Amino acid sequence: MVWRSVLFSLPVEMVVLRAGLCPGLTEDMIQLLRANGIRTVVDFVSSDLEDVAQKCSLSYKALVAVRRVLLAQFSAFPANGADLYEELKSSTAILPTGSPSLDQLLDSGLYTGEVTELMGAPGSGKTQVCLGIAASVSLGLKQHVLFLDSTGGFTASRLYQILQAQTEDEEEQLEALQRIQVVRVFHIYEVLSALQELRDRLSQQVLSSTGPLKMVLLDSVSAVIYPLLGGRQSEGLALMMQLSRELKTLAREFSLAVVVTNQVTRDSSTGPLKPALGRSWSFVPSTRVLLESKEGSWEKGTSHRAASLAKSPRQPTGIQVQLDIGNGDVLEPSLVTPTQGL
Amino acid sequence: VCSLFVRVGPCLLARLEGRSSLKNLEPYLFAEEGSPVHGDVIEFHGTEGTGKTEMLYHLIARCVIPKAEGGLGVEVMFVDTDYHFDMLRLVTILENRLAQGTEEMIKQCLGRLFLVSCSSSTQLLLTLYSLENLFCAHPSLCVLLLDSLSAFYWIDRSNGGESLTLQEMNLKKCANFLEKLVTQHHLILFATTQTLMQKSANSAESFLPLKLPHETDTDYRPYLCKSWQQMVTHRVFFSKQCNSGNSKGFTVVSCHLKRNQIVKRSFSVAECGVQF
Repeated sequence: MVWRSVLFSLPVEMVVLRAGLCPGLTEDMIQLLRANGIRTVVDFVSSDLEDVAQKCSLSYKALVAVRRVLLAQFSAFPANGADLYEELKSSTAILPTGSPSLDQLLDSGLYTGEVTELMGAPGSGKTQVCLGIAASVSLGLKQHVLFLDSTGGFTASRLYQILQAQTEDEEEQLEALQRIQVVRVFHIYEVLSALQELRDRLSQQVLSSTGPLKMVLLDSVSAVIYPLLGGRQSEGLALMMQLSRELKTLAREFSLAVVVTNQVTRDSSTGPLKPALGRSWSFVPSTRVLLESKEGSWEKGTSHRAASLAKSPRQPTGIQVQLDIGNGDVLEPSLVTPTQGL
Repeated sequence: VCSLFVRVGPCLLARLEGRSSLKNLEPYLFAEEGSPVHGDVIEFHGTEGTGKTEMLYHLIARCVIPKAEGGLGVEVMFVDTDYHFDMLRLVTILENRLAQGTEEMIKQCLGRLFLVSCSSSTQLLLTLYSLENLFCAHPSLCVLLLDSLSAFYWIDRSNGGESLTLQEMNLKKCANFLEKLVTQHHLILFATTQTLMQKSANSAESFLPLKLPHETDTDYRPYLCKSWQQMVTHRVFFSKQCNSGNSKGFTVVSCHLKRNQIVKRSFSVAECGVQF
């Protein structure tokens, strides 16, 4: 799957037939096909080859052979379930979030290969939880983290504080900081660009100086998508779906855990809280956690939050845990748990 | 022309001989007894979190578990357009359903499952073309699951510019080819479509000649191309029950479109998957 995206980085819709695209596709053939309105791979593959053979005076057998090769090159290849399971068993990891109660909510932690969403009102602690996750993965697992900050809410000093609470070794703290790459993104194209750069880096990874990367955090997705919605509806939604595709394929292809934060909204003043960005977005994450301030906690500076599971592929929804997003809850990080047939 | 017939002939014969009845696949999903039959096209429609994907896992489990263990022992093809398929969840379901959930047994079941992921509507089209050979080579591969058909809707709409024809072109070709695959290879197709839009207050548009009663209370607004709408034989609407008192958390309203028969059933989702 990985090599395919590197070699054929052009979307398949745009691939025009040209000589040498595949064995058997000669310049003469191309000219004859073009004269009959067949320009792209899709045109060729969708055509009735008997018809084409007659109109272009080309060998039917030759056309069938070319079609077979083109399909092999541009279509997705089916995998067998047993093989895929073997692959996933060895490549899937569960990353601890740095908060044992949150890990419990997520059935041990953040699963690689998936997109997890943290939703909550402003001030509910989404950025704090993201910082905690980054610290946990970087310090505890010694894995690299990409933090895409679209709100300006990332503070290095707060991250350092969290690291200091976990280890006293200054060298370890520094190394952990160095493994977290922060990119400030304020526009959808900057996000897509950063993800493309990550993809290129990961694809070429043989002996990479950046080290193994397991986590991508996007805080927040609503900040870059909101400006696109409303107005020419479908274009904004198309960009949003393109972003969601990018996040999901990265997670799958490179076994990363992707975490995104989102705002909340409600249908009416008494309706339940739901994630912002509409229905199309709601299908994207596999897991969704709602962060809320605890009821009645009007005192300033309280760090207590309630996290509830709103969507999960493996746990019943509705379960709730208490979190302390201050220093208190950041306990000893646990080791990666590779999954062995759940 | 002669060689074409020779090519298709043995494949079709093998398929007819190897065809087994799938009417025990999941009777609760259908308004009519004896469903589904080969050639049926069933659409699962609903908003997020209503159990469509869980139902697909349930169908996969029903198919791949061998007859000795109560399943159908047939092969399944799963086309994933959302990168949504969760193998580990499927394994958990299989472990819970098999009398002996050993690694060997699980792998044997999974060996009957084929998976393919598509990243665009064009790639979906090309992949469907290339899958034709697979169906020929595997006569017991008679169930095709597609999750979801609406994944490319906004991207296609944006790429098609102002022209509705261009916007729908890829999906229309996919729908037409799917129909051809289903008919020629005697398959049963289950496809999910997501409720992407809110139903408008006065929906004058109706792609069906009669306004079926289910359309007024479910949040259904047809938005995919006509070619798809017309090939669907059964439409199953999924919804989640809000009242916590009810132990069965999900509902399906299943409609047999040609016979205008409707049935409503409830199910819950446990560790072993869907339970009616």
